[in-house]
Amino acid sequence: MRPFTYSRANDPASATKELAGNPNARFLAGGTNLIDLMKEDVERPSAIVDISGLRLTEIKPIAAGSAKGGLSIGGLGKNTDAANHPLIRQNYPLLTQAILAGASGQIRNMATNGGNLLQRTRCPYFYEVAMPCNKREPGSGCGALEGVNRLHAIFGASEKCVAVYPSDMAIALAALDAVVKVKNAGGQERSIPFADFHRLPGDTPERDTNLAHGELITAIDLPPNKFAGKSYYLKVRDRASYAFALISVAAGLEMDRSDGSGTKIVQARIAMGGVAHKPWRALKAEQFLAGKEATVENFKRAADAEMVDAKPLEHNKFKVELGSRSIVLALQMAMNGGKA
Amino acid sequence: MQDKNKLTGTPISRIDGIAKVTGKATYSTDFPVKNLAYAVLFKSTIAAGTIRTIDTTAAEKAPGVLAVITHTNAPKLNVNGGIRGGALLQSPEIEFYGQHIGLVVAETFEQARHATHLINVTYDKKEPKADFEKLAKDATLPKDKEKADAKRGDVKAALRDAEFKVEEVYETPIEHHHPLEPHATIAEWNGDRVTLYNSSQIVNGAQSAAANTLNIKPEQVRIITPYIGGGFGSKGGQWANLVLTAVAAKQVNRPVKLALTRQQMVNSVGLRQRNHQKVSLAATKDGKLTALAHEITTHGAIKEEFVEPCGDCSKVMYAVPNSLITYRAVPMNVILPTYTRGPGKSTGSFALESAMDELAYALKMDPIELRIKNEPERDPSNGKPWSSRKAVDCLQVGAKAFGWEKRKAEPRQNQQGNYLVGYGVASGTYPAHQRPTSAIVRLKRTANDVMATVELAAADLGTGTYTILTQTAADALGLPLRNVKVVIGDSDLPPAAGSVGSVGASSYANAVNDACQKITDELLTRSGKQFFARPTASQLMMSEKLTDFQTRIDAKPLESAEDYSAHSFNANFAEVAVNRFTGMVRVNRFLAVTGAGTILNPKTARSQIIGGNIWGIGMALTEESVLDPRWGNFVTRSFADYHVPANLDIGNMEAIFIREDDQKANTLGVKGIGEVGIVGVAAAVANAIFNATGKRVRELPITPDKLL
Ligand SMILES: Cc1cc2nc3c(=O)[nH]c(=O)nc-3n(C[C@H](O)[C@H](O)[C@H](O)COP(=O)(O)OP(=O)(O)OC[C@H]3O[C@@H](n4cnc5c(N)ncnc54)[C@H](O)[C@@H]3O)c2cc1C
Ligand code: SF4
Repeated sequence: MRPFTYSRANDPASATKELAGNPNARFLAGGTNLIDLMKEDVERPSAIVDISGLRLTEIKPIAAGSAKGGLSIGGLGKNTDAANHPLIRQNYPLLTQAILAGASGQIRNMATNGGNLLQRTRCPYFYEVAMPCNKREPGSGCGALEGVNRLHAIFGASEKCVAVYPSDMAIALAALDAVVKVKNAGGQERSIPFADFHRLPGDTPERDTNLAHGELITAIDLPPNKFAGKSYYLKVRDRASYAFALISVAAGLEMDRSDGSGTKIVQARIAMGGVAHKPWRALKAEQFLAGKEATVENFKRAADAEMVDAKPLEHNKFKVELGSRSIVLALQMAMNGGKA
Repeated sequence: MQDKNKLTGTPISRIDGIAKVTGKATYSTDFPVKNLAYAVLFKSTIAAGTIRTIDTTAAEKAPGVLAVITHTNAPKLNVNGGIRGGALLQSPEIEFYGQHIGLVVAETFEQARHATHLINVTYDKKEPKADFEKLAKDATLPKDKEKADAKRGDVKAALRDAEFKVEEVYETPIEHHHPLEPHATIAEWNGDRVTLYNSSQIVNGAQSAAANTLNIKPEQVRIITPYIGGGFGSKGGQWANLVLTAVAAKQVNRPVKLALTRQQMVNSVGLRQRNHQKVSLAATKDGKLTALAHEITTHGAIKEEFVEPCGDCSKVMYAVPNSLITYRAVPMNVILPTYTRGPGKSTGSFALESAMDELAYALKMDPIELRIKNEPERDPSNGKPWSSRKAVDCLQVGAKAFGWEKRKAEPRQNQQGNYLVGYGVASGTYPAHQRPTSAIVRLKRTANDVMATVELAAADLGTGTYTILTQTAADALGLPLRNVKVVIGDSDLPPAAGSVGSVGASSYANAVNDACQKITDELLTRSGKQFFARPTASQLMMSEKLTDFQTRIDAKPLESAEDYSAHSFNANFAEVAVNRFTGMVRVNRFLAVTGAGTILNPKTARSQIIGGNIWGIGMALTEESVLDPRWGNFVTRSFADYHVPANLDIGNMEAIFIREDDQKANTLGVKGIGEVGIVGVAAAVANAIFNATGKRVRELPITPDKLL
């Protein structure tokens, strides 16, 4: 850790202004990722602007009075509160499951919704500052490309970076077509569709997202959906809790009948974690399933349609088979309303 | 020995429990030493080569910095003084990635850490030897005599003529001890004497290693370690950080505190080495073993050798006329491997007991029956009679308690929803030794109240040493628990064995008991009276109207113990559920049945056993330290990637102790339980996974990808 200045922001305007004036300043929310990275000397901000006191914590209907028009969750609300809010449990159980599958109770109590989206990769070469890593130090090379890459990407990677994005919450948000609301120092607001929020590494792996420096995440909007009763977040990992995903799948099935008796899929939503530099929407699988009967056979074919494009590395070949099985299992679980 | 009027054998809660949960227990860096300065180590970022230049100018000028110590200015130390793993800043040579190459001392921890980032190092790099798979073919016979080839009969012929055989290779990864309390020290000089508050499993060993390395006399070093937050072998020997704290304190002429970070632990305090084990079993069709060969290939550090005894279980577990145990090792650019819970036995039993399960399956025989069929009457390795052996009792009692009869002999026959369920069993053993230990007992009487203080340089790793010694002394002196005070963890006390290798409880408890018997004898002699029944020391203090009385003993193992082979034995039972889509494994139930002589306290003993079991489950399923052979660095650098089992990984844990009176092993019949709890566990889990899925995984840990 290196010396830095610390200030506490009282309102979004002053917070964003402070960052705008210093390209090397960072917001501090729950600190569960940023502080760890500072201790490891990976992040070296010269100024920390503590935004944890900003009152951007509310969970409320987007259209006043009714959850039917979707929900808005505050950018600085805690992960635990989002997971356990009755309106979220009821309308977005997929999000509840995904958040609760991540980290530990203590960390979720500290972690914020905005911070969660911006958590950085867990690639060990990114953390060990003596190692080459294009994400940490552009141009230094990628330690993982020919190194230990069991946990790395099978989709959308580049020669420059093969890291995966670690959040569980964001995988559910991708499947839910969430919208990220941000504000800059000029007071301008933007809405970023979830699919455009995170980036693939390409030639600039140092950039995880399309957020501009100093833009503050004020809220995450969840549009209404028709698959709350048929959704499931599956997380496959090396131990039962407190481990990042080898593969995760957020699945939701909108059926031809809304009373649970439907057999035909109107639309499927499938997002995968642990496979790419961003939440990976399995669009080919989704496309395949649209209008099909919800059978295991169709689930398998959908999974195959998605996984044929996978490009595994030396140590993560298993992710292709595991990804395929995970899509099938997640869809089956979703179809059964989350029960085995 | 269990007597219902006695305090030993009863499940008393930890004496030090309240101090610990209220934060009053002083671990090494909790001592309120005044005027502390803080040291932070910095490390090499290559695994092999030499330091060309090391520029500390910016660090020295950084705010708060008091000193920067590197090989260029460190005092001369004795590198053969008993500190393990080198890294004593005595030369520019680099032998492993993350080796300490210097430390910064500053007014605050943050200032010291910051200054470490300002140091510039250049190296002359060499190709590291870090790829075990490639190096293994160059492995040679270790220097350690214990690791010489041990041959009995003709294994080759027996294998050739076998009706049934199993010949397989079992792989275990590098593991780290990772005690919750990292290695940490406060050093405070007082003239030419230094006090080292430092977690030490072997108090006197830490004292002599520190003294020898610092080129001073043992009397000039005092080790204080009343509480230890786990060690698992990594705090048995001592490492550079201990001595470097003393060096730093001397240099800045102030007390200095140095605590390792979790990331530093990976390259600083030893590890369990990678083992490649070939096991060959031959048997007749009715399941009599005719040959057992256990051939081990492993690695040491680049200059020093350490080879854990993976063949030990194979030496004593089964009656077999033809046997071969061999070791080969190759130097590698890693920190020196060291004793790690159940050294050799936990990893060796994974190979042996998996192979036994494979043999049972080939023979279509119940694996418990196969084991019982090959029960040896005497220790096959030396022909000595057992002091006592409860291996078969453990299997039989366990089978009944676990519901073994519900196991399906064929794999994949027990499907429950998305899960395949299976049962596995494996045996284990660990030798039981008592080591010389001295102790002082002091008695003090005020009116009708006699207080006893028991003093010895023992260590409590968090396992219950305080508690069992309080119970032992209370029984031996005829006092209630609250009238006994146990003082340990200080090298100024009478020298004692270490809390290592399962010798702690037997060495300490026997010494305390002997001291209490001795003080009673002395009081009796002093009274000059004859008694119908032996009075207690407490009664004698009163009848003799004494206010103070004390004695000291230098307790030794029984000479007759040499005539016997003394071991603890266990049987481990696991029920696993394997998700048939994802390969994730859940251990639903685990039962360990143990015959380990006298159990001084069934509550702390149970904690010891299930603690060992849980590490064993971690060994089976999750734990692995992964090296990148290109640089020799560990990519598993924190608890986020070195996966110890979490609560949710652990199902129902049960521990049963077999009643065993083994006075041939030692006076109290205490055989130790610290190590045996992990032995056989990984094999039981792997065997259960085979029974569930039909997949035999011979490479630990069994992560989901291996079960697809
Ligand atoms: C041991 C461990 C295990 C974990 N396991 C998991 C897991 O299994 N699954 C999982 O999903 N996560 C896991 N996590 C990660 C955890 O979820 C994140 O650390 C957490 O969500 C980050 O939130 P925070 O508020 O603490 O962010 P901070 O650390 O405060 O901030 C993170 C980044 O976001 C920026 N930032 C924060 N808030 C805003 C905002 N409102 N607007 C703009 N920028 C902002 C900060 O500047 C910083 O760069 C784990 C973490 C740890 C330490
Ligand atoms: S995968 Fe990405 S984060 Fe990991 S080393 Fe390569 S560039 Fe760095």
